[in-house]
Amino acid sequence: MEEGIFEQRTDLGKLNAAVNQIKATLGTIIVGQQDSIDLLIAGILADGHVLIEGVPGVAKTLTAKLIAKAIDAQYSRIQFTPDLMPSDVLGTSVFNPKTIDFEFKQGPIFGNIILIDEINRAPAKTQSALFEVMEERQVTIDGHNYKMQEPFIVLATQNPVEQEGTYRLPEAQLDRFLFKIEIKYPSLEEEIRIVTQQHQHKTNDQLAEVKPILSKEDIISLRNQVRGFHVEPKILEFVAKVIHETRNNKSLYLGGSPRASLAVVNAAKALAAIKGRDFVTPDDVVWVAPAVLRHRIMLTPDKEMEGVSPDDIIKQIIQKIEVPR
Amino acid sequence: MRFYLYLILFILGINAGFGAEKKAHAAKHEKAVLKVDSASAVDVRHFDQSVLNTYRKKPEFQYKEATADISGWTRFWRWFWHWLDSLFSSKPAKGLPTFWDIFWRIFKILLLALGVGALIFFIFKAQGINILGIFRKKATGAPIPYSEFFEDINTINFDGEIEGAIAKGNYRFAVRLLYLKCLKHLTDAGLIDWQIDKTNGVYISELKNQQQQEAFRMLTLQFEYVWYGELLIDQQAFKTIDSSFKDFNKQVA
Repeated sequence: MEEGIFEQRTDLGKLNAAVNQIKATLGTIIVGQQDSIDLLIAGILADGHVLIEGVPGVAKTLTAKLIAKAIDAQYSRIQFTPDLMPSDVLGTSVFNPKTIDFEFKQGPIFGNIILIDEINRAPAKTQSALFEVMEERQVTIDGHNYKMQEPFIVLATQNPVEQEGTYRLPEAQLDRFLFKIEIKYPSLEEEIRIVTQQHQHKTNDQLAEVKPILSKEDIISLRNQVRGFHVEPKILEFVAKVIHETRNNKSLYLGGSPRASLAVVNAAKALAAIKGRDFVTPDDVVWVAPAVLRHRIMLTPDKEMEGVSPDDIIKQIIQKIEVPR
Repeated sequence: MRFYLYLILFILGINAGFGAEKKAHAAKHEKAVLKVDSASAVDVRHFDQSVLNTYRKKPEFQYKEATADISGWTRFWRWFWHWLDSLFSSKPAKGLPTFWDIFWRIFKILLLALGVGALIFFIFKAQGINILGIFRKKATGAPIPYSEFFEDINTINFDGEIEGAIAKGNYRFAVRLLYLKCLKHLTDAGLIDWQIDKTNGVYISELKNQQQQEAFRMLTLQFEYVWYGELLIDQQAFKTIDSSFKDFNKQVA
């Protein structure tokens, strides 16, 4: 958090306290991954869904579960498998012999914080079932609309597509995720800390130690606060230029959508909130851009074969655009 | 016991040999009988020529292979390969080759190489592939067709501009100019490397001196609140900010 040299237009006291508490709680269990935790908190504040990608065993699910536990809201978990059907996620109409009528039985998607574990193990048919609910926060079944409760956050984990038994998620679905967080292997020092920490806590259930920090109402209120943050027009222009450039870049087969532009702005606002500011700086935009764009853009086949990553291209694009100052 | 078995088999074998010899001898003495066909004379029949001619005219019975005319394209390739062969063939010419014969031959080969090279270049160019990049060790990155007017801090008359902004009461703009001036000072002192794509955070991290870094971080924060945060400041607040920038610039110089 940055020093309060100027009087804030917005009272960020509660937000800052909550952010610090979440970070401290998660820090006792999760070693490292500070950027990932910041992005997860930013995702919640920006009213976005988060996709966490990493090889097995890097605490993707644990991180998501901890964040979910830090919020006092209805939590449900769905384990995506190759034989999962859309009705297993959304729900289905069941005939009730007593009333001689069909009754809608809600699926696990009806909740506030939904943890979809290993999302890319289900085929495209099941993935498609999430399109409406992720974007419009509603489910339409048998001609009836079922609205989701606020807040509605999807935290999904996935293995890289190179892993066995995984499917590539449809572009339309990827675009619905605010961030794609890539969790890498820990450093040697971090690995030693993980082993030591686990050894010391071997008899305790670490998840049980986490107590809710934010309520549903808190999240709704904080989101409204963050939405009203100030963004200098030149910074909005900067964001638009970055996204526009992704559509004209020869290394990219698919560029960012207008939804991506909005996502960058919202994410930058949330990051500013985490840093204790009520306005966005170019640093915020540059910091969130890779996480917002890496899953929305598609490299051309030749660039993929060269081993270029989406992050490399995003970096190149940003380097060519003047930072507003 | 085995002995008796061998003996019986031996006797039976001799007996069989004698039997076969006796049969062959009897066959030698049988008379050959020639059978003659004594039926009526053979009536030789012939095909009807008119019917045969009718059949021959039908396309179903035309077994001659159709030979297509050689197209111009095929003729061109035949000529091309023949010409290429003549260029590189080592057949001895009639008599000793003259200097001009050798020169002309080398010239034709060079011309051909140039033509092939140009063709490859244009194909790559049309595909948008940087042909020079193929021979480099690592790809230099995607070319970005983006250009715009960049503000160069080295060409701005800061003192004049700041005075002008203060005179107009535009303190927000004056703070921006103070910050840009500070960046120029740091660049001139070789403490940071000014680039259009660098954010303020990058410049802070480029400062190695801890004290300078902390001081510059505070100045950056002031600039960000006033410029990006659009925080309104009066003359008094501006004076405070101005003096902190001046102090820092003195430190750097």
